Amino acid sequence: MGGPGTTITIMSLFSELRRRNVFKVLLVYLIAGWLIVKLLHHLHPLFGLPHWIEKLVGLILLIGLPLALYFAWIYEITPVGLKKAVDVTQTQSIVYKTGQKLNAALAVVSVLLLAALIVGRLFPEPPALLDLGPKMVAPAMPGVPPGIRSVTLDNGLEIIVWPDHDIPNVALYYFVRAGARNEYPGITGLSHFFEHMMFNGTEDLEPGEFDRIMEAAGGQNNAYTSNDVTVYQDWFPRSALEVVFELESERLQNLAFDPEAVESERGVIISERRTTVDNNNISRLLEQMRATAYIAHPYQFPIIGWPSDIESWTVDDLERYYRTYYAPNNITMVVAGDVTPAEILDLAEDYLEDLEAQDPPAAVRTVEPEQQGERRVVIETDARTPMLHIAFHAGRAADPETLAMNLLLSILVDGDSSRLHRRLVEEEQLAISVGGFQFEGFDPGLVYFYATLPAGGDLGLLEQRIFDELARVAAEGVSTDELAKARNMMLADFWRSMATINGKAAGLGDAAVFRGGYEALFDLPADIEALSADELKAVAASVFRRSNATIGLLHAPAAEDEE
Amino acid sequence: MTPGRTLLQVTVLSFALLSGAAFGAGVTLPDFERVELANGTVLLVSENREVPLVAVTAILRGGALVDPEGRSGLASLLASLLEKGAGGRNAAQFAEAIDASGGLLSSRADLESITISGSFLARDADLMVELLADMLLRPDLEQTEFDKLRERSINFIRAAKDTNLNALLPIYGQAFLFGAHPYGNPVSGSESSLAAIRHADVRDYYEQQLGGDRLVVAVTGDFDAAAMVAKLTAAFGDWQPAAAPLSDVPRASPQSGRRVLLIDKPGATQTYFWLGNVGVARNYEKRAALDIANTVFGGRYTSMLNTELRMKSGLTYGAQSQLSRASRPGSLAIVSYTPTETTFEAIDKALGVLDRLRGAGVDQKALASARNYILGQFPTTLETAAQLGRQLAALAAFGLDVGYINGYGQALMATDEATVAAVIQAVYPSPDDLVFVLLGDAEAIRERAGEYGPLIEMSITEPRFRAPPADNDE
Repeated sequence: MGGPGTTITIMSLFSELRRRNVFKVLLVYLIAGWLIVKLLHHLHPLFGLPHWIEKLVGLILLIGLPLALYFAWIYEITPVGLKKAVDVTQTQSIVYKTGQKLNAALAVVSVLLLAALIVGRLFPEPPALLDLGPKMVAPAMPGVPPGIRSVTLDNGLEIIVWPDHDIPNVALYYFVRAGARNEYPGITGLSHFFEHMMFNGTEDLEPGEFDRIMEAAGGQNNAYTSNDVTVYQDWFPRSALEVVFELESERLQNLAFDPEAVESERGVIISERRTTVDNNNISRLLEQMRATAYIAHPYQFPIIGWPSDIESWTVDDLERYYRTYYAPNNITMVVAGDVTPAEILDLAEDYLEDLEAQDPPAAVRTVEPEQQGERRVVIETDARTPMLHIAFHAGRAADPETLAMNLLLSILVDGDSSRLHRRLVEEEQLAISVGGFQFEGFDPGLVYFYATLPAGGDLGLLEQRIFDELARVAAEGVSTDELAKARNMMLADFWRSMATINGKAAGLGDAAVFRGGYEALFDLPADIEALSADELKAVAASVFRRSNATIGLLHAPAAEDEE
Repeated sequence: MTPGRTLLQVTVLSFALLSGAAFGAGVTLPDFERVELANGTVLLVSENREVPLVAVTAILRGGALVDPEGRSGLASLLASLLEKGAGGRNAAQFAEAIDASGGLLSSRADLESITISGSFLARDADLMVELLADMLLRPDLEQTEFDKLRERSINFIRAAKDTNLNALLPIYGQAFLFGAHPYGNPVSGSESSLAAIRHADVRDYYEQQLGGDRLVVAVTGDFDAAAMVAKLTAAFGDWQPAAAPLSDVPRASPQSGRRVLLIDKPGATQTYFWLGNVGVARNYEKRAALDIANTVFGGRYTSMLNTELRMKSGLTYGAQSQLSRASRPGSLAIVSYTPTETTFEAIDKALGVLDRLRGAGVDQKALASARNYILGQFPTTLETAAQLGRQLAALAAFGLDVGYINGYGQALMATDEATVAAVIQAVYPSPDDLVFVLLGDAEAIRERAGEYGPLIEMSITEPRFRAPPADNDE
């Protein structure tokens, strides 16, 4: 440490600093700077200022600080103007007077500071400058790509970001937890209708404007409604990032329900229903099957809605739906592509933080009671190729048996080597195609098989063969080779979906919404390895029971032979 | 944030984007290796290790175009039969080999080619090459498998007539527009043309039309390129050229005046319509300008057609303008559907939009928007190794160079209003020169449909797609 001389030097430096008002300047600068930053932060949402302005001002203030101190030290305000302090004689010096002015300034900014602190106490603070608010959280689990970040805003909106810079594009999905399961007689199909209305104008955007702006910015979008969720999808170049956030923010906050637009969209849905249901035998039968397999739970309702409900939805229904379900705490957003987590967080704070959280929607209470025996539905229509559908009640998306069932379905219907295809299509030619899938939702769904027969095909025999095959797998299980095959198919499909930003966004969102967290997406390879043949057999035995089956037939009214 | 500000910002940003400055000039193909073997086979190989997969696209020039008269669907049947046993594995074993590895490998015919697409885990790249080579060089082409496939194919058409009218409409449309020209032949055949095909025809097609000189193979993904080229060379280098030369197709003459085809599906609650004429070839020199025009007219959600028929009037779930491009000019058609009772309102509106496009053209704002839209979505068409392979194979098979992709962005940027206007006049037909194809409940729409022009009617149950007068070749 220094000797006595050094002490003297430090002491004189200190007094010189005082004399030249450097400390006062520092204090005034700090307080005034803090006030400017606070003021800006409160004003920015009011005037819609972009977030970077705050950062810019903060940066300027930071750079300005040493400059201000340097000026205070070097220069002095004299009656004849600004002079270097060393050139000012002690008699000419008015540092004392300047000091008095600084004292006054100090008093003013101190009062303002006090006021700001009091106001700050009364009104909760927005996050301070340069503090990114709720920090994006990195994945904690092994096997999860390290670049992924997630955050939940104060209003409950969950956001997951997966940066991928292969192409200069972005896929943005958001999942609204509203679907057919949230409907009841009178408003069936409303979730889907609402999805359409999300493209039909806001308080400030004419109907069609949303799409015109997005497409002009190089983006494309779509949406779909399922039993459980309504999902909005935007695909766009990264240059359109802010436009997309702006547009999404606008329709999530200020959607309009113009009666004329509502009527026009009703017409679109009637056309959609005629094409996808009335003129499509597969959908016609599927609709009747769901309505038959479920007698209590709302999964019985068609996603597009019953025709009488389509004709009668009201603007009130739509507004209530908007308030209840389109709340940030009921939404999960996923962004995959050429972005950084920090910029997405910034945009989210600018555009989505003001969405107001709502009370959570009412839970779906009804649990479908155990089926008491086989059910059957028959559609007689002018069809040359008959159809057979068979559905069984099964598990939820989040249930462990659901993955076992998916592997089992792969063995039964995926690919030309699958059990049902090989026997029914290739060997016995009872069907021209056969397939199957599982409805995976929040509540117990259906395992669903469908087959199209050749003209004049034997529905009874086909039904018997399918039940034979299902009984066989329930009794005997699957072979080691079959299990290995199903695992390979699922693993390859997993990698195919990981090859695109779209697949990444869809996969993350699906896992986050239905399987307890986005991290679950990456469990798949290990989970399928862990499943045993015994578990597949067990799930087959518990699901493929006659008393748990709904059987649907579609054929021409009179027996006809096309051949 | 206040809505007013939001709108302002959106407007400002949109304006900035409309200037085009925010966009790059499209997409540049990544490096790839091109090897032409002595027998004429072209190999295209590109490494991409993003995911542990390997993809293949093999294109054989020929396709449905060389189906003999009255046997439409022959190339399609052969393509499916290639999967049904080859190289010592019978049909079941062949399927098992693909599925057991988690792979996909399928074959289909298009108008001018047979295309085989595959995707396997990287560890199974050797298996993929082996199965592909077996399919092409050593297929069983068994009679029993042929019989099953033909019967299934006929029933698939019947099933589509029950349930998938959207998919059938362009087939009826092209058959009616092109008449006896090969572009009017249904690629997958008709019930009657498939029934006329014999097992010997498939063998004959294979002997005459498949061979090393017709083949382009693109392999992309997670592997070593040099080793892959060696493998492919060993697999395909000895394949003899096809016995028959690949014949040229004449240009079809465009339709002048109007003709109407009404396909009756009693009880249908919607009318599906296709209003078309002859369009352009794949190598049309003003492709960028045409793509901009078609994007504005009927190629995206806010297109003129969809705005008029869906967004403004709620007449339909969707209205589009579809271009089918091949070596010679294919079809250009307005396609939509609407409830039976609004059939003519919808068709008249569509004709009005076509008239407006030809009259007013595309203004600067719409041009910039469409250009941004095409450029903005372009990278997603070349995101994966599999997509790249498909593009590379298609370019090589149809005689296009990399400039088709690499120069496309620049071409879009360079397109101005005058060029688009000229292309519209040259390519889009007048509403007075169109074929009208309507599929729906004839009883309800017959009379007014006849007002568009001379009308021919057929039932959807007829086993052919071609309308009666031109029907003697099926």
